[in-house]
Amino acid sequence: MASVSTSCLRFQPLLWQSNNTCQAAQRTSLKLVSVSWAKSGFPSLRATRFRVSCAANPLTMQKVCDIVRKQLVLSPETQLTPETKFSELGADSLDTVEIVMGLEEEFDINVEEESSQNITTVKDAADLIDKLVQKKAEAGA
Amino acid sequence: MFPSLLRAYSPMKMRCCFQRSICSASSSLVPVQLPSPMETHFWYVLPDQVKSVSLLNQYMGLLSPIEKENVLSMPGHQLQKRALLARALVRTTIARYQINGHVDPRSLKFKKNIHGKPEVVWQSEDGWCQPHLHFNISHSSSMIACGVTSNSRIGIDVEEKQRKIKNNVLAFARRYFSLHEMEYLSSISDSEVQHQEFIKLWTLKEAYVKALGKGFSAAPFKTFTVQVKTDSKRSFVLAEDLVFEASEIMVESLNDPKSLTSSWQFALLELAGSHYAAICMEKDKSIKVGMKVPVRLTAWKTIPFVEDECVSGTDAVMPIGGLIKL
Repeated sequence: MASVSTSCLRFQPLLWQSNNTCQAAQRTSLKLVSVSWAKSGFPSLRATRFRVSCAANPLTMQKVCDIVRKQLVLSPETQLTPETKFSELGADSLDTVEIVMGLEEEFDINVEEESSQNITTVKDAADLIDKLVQKKAEAGA
Repeated sequence: MFPSLLRAYSPMKMRCCFQRSICSASSSLVPVQLPSPMETHFWYVLPDQVKSVSLLNQYMGLLSPIEKENVLSMPGHQLQKRALLARALVRTTIARYQINGHVDPRSLKFKKNIHGKPEVVWQSEDGWCQPHLHFNISHSSSMIACGVTSNSRIGIDVEEKQRKIKNNVLAFARRYFSLHEMEYLSSISDSEVQHQEFIKLWTLKEAYVKALGKGFSAAPFKTFTVQVKTDSKRSFVLAEDLVFEASEIMVESLNDPKSLTSSWQFALLELAGSHYAAICMEKDKSIKVGMKVPVRLTAWKTIPFVEDECVSGTDAVMPIGGLIKL
């Protein structure tokens, strides 16, 4: 499971998929956690309070971060957390719309304009994408 | 000293309004009279021109604790500076109009309406005189602007002319703009011109939605068309004023054709050679439907507390769309 060391914390991928371990992790409040996904090239997420969210697929999160970084031309040192607001990264409305469009292309989904107005954070985007991808999979099945 | 008193009519038909008032370091703001009906005041600051650390600290001192927190939470110096200048511009601009005795930019309080549009909270003792000052701000990475009107809702948007669009322009227009707008952009063969027209359309649409003040979901971009009817560019002198009629800009709602989109007036400008700026304001109620009344525009390039330069009538402000009186 999770072991806290001074420099980094590694989550096993199982944590995200298994409901049981997810709940267990939620009961634990983690303070000052630094997560680095060296192998898969995840951006390093640093948060003072890291909430484990079952809805956020780490792969989705990574792709969202990549697209956001590309659109906003962020320096590699800029930290991105699930709660980071696009506006806090200097994105204006045109940037946000471009990000949504980039996400639509990446995930082959269609985001309703009304929903896209509600995407203000990295997590909003990832959650919506997962929902739409799932809906699409169910429709196709 | 009010800029309007210093306008000189030049026989060369070019009115140059070049009032440079350099304030001493005693941090005073040159007071300004409120705009008249159908008049917009447009104030802008170029972040690259603001370098003094002590000046930036002075601006920081104007902000509320929450505003300070928001500024400092931005990642990186450039973004912090931009956020700081935006708040400083809004506060100092509104303070210039000295409404209800508010001369100190620090004393202004802001709130958001139910749709999230920022407004001033006017505190007057008797509360009987509610000021009708409306404002809206916009920023690109290299310009921050604030538009001010009396008694008329306003929305503005500024964008760099050369702003890079990561997606394909037509794909973007197909996805987000109305059919008519997409067809208009498709008809342009030169990709540079197409890019420029895209940016102009974006700023106009953005300004309209911001003027409505009901949030973006109230008027999704696909549901209305902004049309720029380009006649041959004409400019003529009307009494002492220079009136530009570059084109007629109209907005039409696709969902609700009966909605009062004819009550909105647009102005499109090229600023400082580098930016497009769109202004959308509500027509004065006294103007009959169908009457063409120009938007009076006065524009200042400012470094609050340091320098105000009235630039309307100079090359810095080029009208490129709408009916504008400088």
